[in-house]
Amino acid sequence: MEKVAKHEQLDEKALIAKLIEGDAAAFDYVVDRYHSIMLSVARAIIGEAFADEVVQEAWVSAIKALPRFEGRASLKTWLLQITSNGAKTRLRRESRQLSLDDGWQAEPDEKFDKRGHRIDDVLPWNMETPDALLENDQLRQVIENTFQKLPPHQRAVLTMADIEGLEMTEICNILDISSSNARVLLHRARTMLHHSIEKYQES
Amino acid sequence: MFECKDVAEEASNYLDGDLPLGKRVGLFLHLVYCSCCRRYLQQLRQTITTVAVLRPQEQHQTDTQALAEKLRAISKTES
Repeated sequence: MEKVAKHEQLDEKALIAKLIEGDAAAFDYVVDRYHSIMLSVARAIIGEAFADEVVQEAWVSAIKALPRFEGRASLKTWLLQITSNGAKTRLRRESRQLSLDDGWQAEPDEKFDKRGHRIDDVLPWNMETPDALLENDQLRQVIENTFQKLPPHQRAVLTMADIEGLEMTEICNILDISSSNARVLLHRARTMLHHSIEKYQES
Repeated sequence: MFECKDVAEEASNYLDGDLPLGKRVGLFLHLVYCSCCRRYLQQLRQTITTVAVLRPQEQHQTDTQALAEKLRAISKTES
């Protein structure tokens, strides 16, 4: 699957220079652009209660450290790493592995016969492109609602992988989870969203 | 043998190119004769693209303008 979010090739050096100069528009831009995804990472690691505080602290640390930012990673990855470190420190746990053995299935068993074949046909969607799907306001809302209802870990992995275009290795580092965990979470998130569109199309 | 159920479980890995060769071939061969799974994969791909276009965001109550202003003030005292 081609990464979809490579469009953000804005000149980060210039942006960082502006931040260091204290340019108000640059501060508005970075907060607006990155606050939400930092929150996503913090919520995934530490949960709703402390996430806001962790992100505020991460912002302050990042801004203070900005003159020493070397640009080895993108600004986005750097901010997410600071957020992740803050959240993990707060959590005071050295390593974690999510338990995924919870009986989750991509599709419920009753959709398949004993040999694993689909019993019902997968119906074609009457809207073939993303733009066509998104022209429909109700469907937009369905997708938005499903996204908000995803568990925080799934939301964070989906946001980083499919919306922000981060590499799997970066995502695993940021969330401190194994690659197989991350892949399972991503697939679950995508599956939930697929189901919601499918259900809408059938109704 | 790859069955529809296996396709449903491995679909993301297949689309992301993360499936080992043996499984990749097995899944591909299944797709040759199963139109349901072809459609399912196509829809999953479309779901991924659609979400990337929609770009849903975390809900929050933060006043981002105030935060930006606060950070700017901190950066001034630092420099």
